[in-house]
Amino acid sequence: MNIVVAMKQIPDLQQVRIKNRKPILDDVPLTFGNIDRNALEAAVLIKEQVGGSVTVVAAGKEGLEDTVKEALAAGADQAYLIICNEQEDIESSISAKLLAEAIKQLGSVDLVLFGEGSGDNYSSQVGSRVAELLDLPQVGYVERIELTAGELVVTRSLEDGKEVVQVALPAVLTVVTDLNQPRIPSVTQILKAGRKPKKVMSDQELLGAVPTPKVKTLSNLAPEIKRKQIQVGTAVELVEKLQAEGFLGRA
Amino acid sequence: MPYQNENDGFEVIVVGGGLAGLAAAYILADRGVEVLVLERGDYCGAKNVTGGRIYLNPVREIFSQLLKDAPFERHIAHEEVSLFAASRSLTLRYDGSELGDPPYQSYSVLRAKFDRWLARQAEKKGAMLATKSRVDDVILENGVVKGVRAGGEELRANVVIACDGVLSLVSERAGLRKDIQPQYYAVGIKEVIEMDRKAIENRFNLEGEEGVARLFMGDVTAGMFGGGFLYTNLDSISLGLVVSIKDLLENQREVIVSDLLERFKQRSEVSLLIKGGETVEYSAHVIPEGGFNALNSLYGDGILVAGDAAGFALNIGVTVRGMEYALASGYYAAQTVLHAREKGDYSRATLGLYRQLLEDSFVLKDFKSFRDALSVLNSPRLFQHYPELLGNILRDLYWIPPGPKDRLYSTVRRYLGVREVWQALGDVRRMSKI
Amino acid sequence: MSLTTGLKSKLGLNVFKESSKFHIRIKEGKEKDPRLQKAVLVCPAGLYSQNPEGEVVLSSDGCLECGTCLIACGRELLDWEYPEGGSGVQFRFG
Ligand SMILES: Cc1cc2nc3c(=O)[nH]c(=O)nc-3n(C[C@H](O)[C@H](O)[C@H](O)COP(=O)(O)OP(=O)(O)OC[C@H]3O[C@@H](n4cnc5c(N)ncnc54)[C@H](O)[C@@H]3O)c2cc1C
Ligand code: SF4
Repeated sequence: MNIVVAMKQIPDLQQVRIKNRKPILDDVPLTFGNIDRNALEAAVLIKEQVGGSVTVVAAGKEGLEDTVKEALAAGADQAYLIICNEQEDIESSISAKLLAEAIKQLGSVDLVLFGEGSGDNYSSQVGSRVAELLDLPQVGYVERIELTAGELVVTRSLEDGKEVVQVALPAVLTVVTDLNQPRIPSVTQILKAGRKPKKVMSDQELLGAVPTPKVKTLSNLAPEIKRKQIQVGTAVELVEKLQAEGFLGRA
Repeated sequence: MPYQNENDGFEVIVVGGGLAGLAAAYILADRGVEVLVLERGDYCGAKNVTGGRIYLNPVREIFSQLLKDAPFERHIAHEEVSLFAASRSLTLRYDGSELGDPPYQSYSVLRAKFDRWLARQAEKKGAMLATKSRVDDVILENGVVKGVRAGGEELRANVVIACDGVLSLVSERAGLRKDIQPQYYAVGIKEVIEMDRKAIENRFNLEGEEGVARLFMGDVTAGMFGGGFLYTNLDSISLGLVVSIKDLLENQREVIVSDLLERFKQRSEVSLLIKGGETVEYSAHVIPEGGFNALNSLYGDGILVAGDAAGFALNIGVTVRGMEYALASGYYAAQTVLHAREKGDYSRATLGLYRQLLEDSFVLKDFKSFRDALSVLNSPRLFQHYPELLGNILRDLYWIPPGPKDRLYSTVRRYLGVREVWQALGDVRRMSKI
Repeated sequence: MSLTTGLKSKLGLNVFKESSKFHIRIKEGKEKDPRLQKAVLVCPAGLYSQNPEGEVVLSSDGCLECGTCLIACGRELLDWEYPEGGSGVQFRFG
């Protein structure tokens, strides 16, 4: 089975500092979001079960060639990278076009996996948009994937229950983090990753003309945290204060 | 990339992507040797702490190309030493063209940035780097090191260079390490305090990328062996303390090491320097400071040890020096491997060249000349008595009493009696040995 | 601000990556060893403390991986290793 996993390069969010309510991104290492890793792990597990290949498709800025080694170490066989250095922040509609076009170029694809939302802004649009552009069925909030005789049975995690659906291939799935526990690559795997095939293109090469973005991020401020700095002397006082603040004693 | 096949192993495995390990890997890769660096941090530098000043003169020649574009912070153009007594202090400042003109002697440095950069340079030369990879053990066969174990895998190599820092598990497992003795180690704790670049320059009287190095002795460490340091970086200040672990264990007042740093920061002399800054990181690290007598074995069959792992750091009272020894010992370890590779023999006998190279270089020469530094410097007189004494003299010199002021001579004389002078002479004699 | 709350908030400034198990353990039966009480003084992160029973206990939040407790107490009292690769403290400045 030929599986594609779309992954987004994001800053290592734990490393981002906030200064004057703005994130500082200088020198922050780049990585992939956690849910994207779940999607990749799912793909690798299926491949290990039925054979085939796993291709990572990613659109992002420079550094991507380096970052993708993580995915290649964690079990992907090859990568298709689209470098968009011109764009400040790639808008969902444009990344969807880029990814869909790349997937088309890959030829026969049976399954496309996405994380439900990206680790940084979680707009949750790209998976559905790509499914639309490729004219494929899409199933979201996937927390379990089973493969039987060419068909997928997937469990969707919904707020008030679980839904089990059957999907014909090819299809697009967007997955949630409960799906699995991504593996930690061994040293040998990390070293092999550097030698796995990578195809690198610019967005212009892939699309000809890249559409101009229509959504612009104006600000991205962290919420202001106000510490109340209440001082307490005794445990009883502490309980009282917490009750007064509404942190205790609610049903 | 030269890497072929996991079964026949690597030419060289370097454990630890700090200064020693990356220096070795850089040199080896440059000479076309297949070298793998294993680093447990998310990136090189993620686990490393230093005070903050690297001296370039000793290593300028061996790394002439490499260090030209290094991301240092500021070149140190001003030096200050302060003696702290309980409620007063005395500061000496040293500067001038000797320090202020290029080539600069020393720079302040932040390791997360510097080590990551150095790793990139080594990778560009062809070194392989696996981060987030902790080495758990060495593969020992009949006393010969054949590689390492990491994450359940066996990674074999012709030779392993242990550059895994002061606690070096690799050299311990290879049987090259002395038992732990607290008197050979200090703990360094540090805060990085972010501050506006212009504010730093104004506050410390710096022109452009000039920097200052300040050292603090005496009451800072509650009289224990050690001292405080302050280095200016481009946009931050590194402020911290180094204290002997043995003294901390033996101190009767039960001083808590983290409180020492808080008290140091609260001293008015220091709080003024960091006012308006914001602490952005708190770190700590053990420092080997036992000097020559505490050095671990430097090599064995199939293994070399470099940097802090070997014990290559010196505390000479005014500064801790370790970074240039790490870089240089990494360099000489690489040279030794090149020699062994030519011979096709990685036995103890061949690797013994390492010691020779170090003996001929500044590394072991320094360690020999500072051999007695620790025992001489680690005297309470130096860290308690003199700061107090000097402070007393100065107070009386500057003190304008309600009545007539003593003549200068009698003021000084009051403190520097015959016995005091005699003892001081003895201390000076001992100091002159270091 | 008391010194201990100051310490906790300072540790809060650092990046710590989760690991599956804490990498230092007090050896069984050594909890009351007087040498271990020294760890309370020397740990820069203040992770060691003494409980009312006189046992030294170790909290697993905010270890700086400095090694001071190992140097002070030795392997006789502590099982001490580094956390697995990619976990534990990750300094942004160093
Ligand atoms: C507070 C403080 C102040 C100092 N001030 C100065 C100063 O001003 N000037 C100066 O020259 N020196 C100073 N030093 C000393 C200097 O920092 C050290 O000597 C120097 O960093 C040693 O470099 P190294 O490469 O040998 O070791 P390290 O920098 O400690 O590197 C060891 C590397 O090995 C990795 N590692 C360890 N174990 C494993 C494992 N099992 N598997 C994989 N990787 C592993 C670590 O993550 C690390 O990257 C100071 C030290 C401290 C703590
Ligand atoms: S390694 Fe350092 S920070 Fe961690 S528990 Fe030991 S002394 Fe404390």
